[in-house]
Amino acid sequence: MALMSFERKYRVRGGTLIGGDLFDFWFGPFYVGFFGVTTIFFAVLGTLLLVWGAAIGPTWNLWQINVAPPDLKYGLGLAPLREGGLWQIVTFCATGAFGSWVLRQAEIARKLGMGLHVSWAFGAAVAAYVTLVIIRPVLLGAWGHGFPYGIFSHLDWVSNVGYQYLHFHYNPAHMIAITFFFTNCLALAMHGSLILSVTNPKQGEPVKTSEHENVFFRDLVGYSIGALGIHRLGTFLAMSAGLWSAICIVISGPFWSKPWPEWWNWWLNLPIWGK
Amino acid sequence: MRAFPFARVALLGFAATSLAGCKYWKSEERVTVQTGYRGTAMEHTVKKSDVMAQFAATSVPEPVPAAGPSPPGPLPWKNVQVLNDISVAEFNRTMVAMSTWVAGTGNCAYCHNVVNFASDTANDGKPLYTKLTARRMLQMTRHINGQYGQHVANTGVTCYTCHRGKPVPQGMWTFGDGNQYQRHYLDRDGARVISHEMAPSNANRSSVKQTEWTYALMISMSNSLGVNCTYCHNTRQFASWQEAPPARVKALHGINMVRDVNTNFVAPLVSILPQVRLGEMGDAPKVQCQTCHQGVYKPLYGAKMAKDYPAIWGRPDWAGTPFPGLYQTAADSTQKVADAAATAPVGGR
Repeated sequence: MALMSFERKYRVRGGTLIGGDLFDFWFGPFYVGFFGVTTIFFAVLGTLLLVWGAAIGPTWNLWQINVAPPDLKYGLGLAPLREGGLWQIVTFCATGAFGSWVLRQAEIARKLGMGLHVSWAFGAAVAAYVTLVIIRPVLLGAWGHGFPYGIFSHLDWVSNVGYQYLHFHYNPAHMIAITFFFTNCLALAMHGSLILSVTNPKQGEPVKTSEHENVFFRDLVGYSIGALGIHRLGTFLAMSAGLWSAICIVISGPFWSKPWPEWWNWWLNLPIWGK
Repeated sequence: MRAFPFARVALLGFAATSLAGCKYWKSEERVTVQTGYRGTAMEHTVKKSDVMAQFAATSVPEPVPAAGPSPPGPLPWKNVQVLNDISVAEFNRTMVAMSTWVAGTGNCAYCHNVVNFASDTANDGKPLYTKLTARRMLQMTRHINGQYGQHVANTGVTCYTCHRGKPVPQGMWTFGDGNQYQRHYLDRDGARVISHEMAPSNANRSSVKQTEWTYALMISMSNSLGVNCTYCHNTRQFASWQEAPPARVKALHGINMVRDVNTNFVAPLVSILPQVRLGEMGDAPKVQCQTCHQGVYKPLYGAKMAKDYPAIWGRPDWAGTPFPGLYQTAADSTQKVADAAATAPVGGR
């Protein structure tokens, strides 16, 4: 496979986090690296275990396959393989695979001499997953508090956890997380439409430049954040969405066990109402 | 050079948040009970200190010492219409317990004409509404304990389950604008507002208002029992009985019981209760889940008070037929008062 011009800069030795030159090579266009190997190992093992879980389960219906965490009675101990132990190993594999992918990205960034922004950004999403299946279960004292691995089953879990706190939309951190997700979506839509517009001009017109982009948004909303700024903003919004998601679930149970609407009683209890 | 040490600030923030969190977190503070298949999040989570505080605020009276021997011979009752199937000693013991549970210890006069304990009227001929109500409530208690085992099990109920030492129990409700949903505890049907088709259609005529009543009804149960939606429902499909925990069946028997109690025992008391006890629409106060449960999914934390009082379980052949005598007495005494008022000379006696 032919090298593209910038790949010459990318394909340099070193920058590894662990193991020196071990696995410091490319497989076709893909960098391998120590963490590439661990990613493949955990991803393949975890996926095969999920397939095995489906095989010993009652259905091959893709929507209904379910690998569930153990009963609460097992606490933070190991459960029998068919009674949640499988979920525990899959969780271990998934965390290993996601973490490895973060670290592999960090190695690539070091080779390129760029910052670790991509690793951190992806790390925010990984942190949200780890919060759901490791941090919160540990705080609550049982692996059984993790969510099940299945398309429908994990949605049922989300629904029941939400109703356990009566109305999850009253969770303040959930409010913030949703706001970040929606704002992120809006920013991406505005940015994407702008880029598609300037790079696809009318027949016979030249591709527009950043000056054109700035003028458009200054006309539309009075301000243009700029070509670099929009990516900083996007990173901030996306990471904040992930982190506040993690916060909103980790406080539900470990730090608040009542209905979330009740939390807002602090507002009614303020001394400003002159009761 | 980097203008903003993003990674360091993020790490510091995470560490600070974690430390602050650990300060407020104690693992033994959280108790979770699993109520469904693993991984479905069918569970009931509570904070231990909250429950302990609630528990400490709940008192269960000591049982009155067991009844001694009764004098021989036939039961000496005059005008005892409900408790005429128990010994004299057990009868007296039950009366003492009832005064503690409802009226305040030793306060016989709350219900009785102390000149003539057998009388259903005061010295001035007015009906003793407290005594008539107490009699009907004894019938109700026996009815509940005899007919609603699927809700009250062998724990049963006593006067204290609702009254908690006060003449008017918590959580009684009367008709009004703000509590339309509570009609479901009496006579309103149609709480099942959920659609059974995916697409909207004319098949479901439930209004937004009805839906809101159902929601309010469910929240009132949730508050009354100190539980959340998943105690009785799998929220994947609220309507599904197959996926619901057994507690929902227990609750259904409870709803039937509340409607029976309101329809046949409590609401009809309107004919004997004084104005001051009635609601603004002139109806008698009615019960709901809160009246017994008072924030706990097993009233009084499951304390088995009723087992100490055979009188409130009723005769073995008790079939729940309401006693016809009560309303006749009430009607008679009301009539007597009316007659007396009509014939009394101006200025009274």
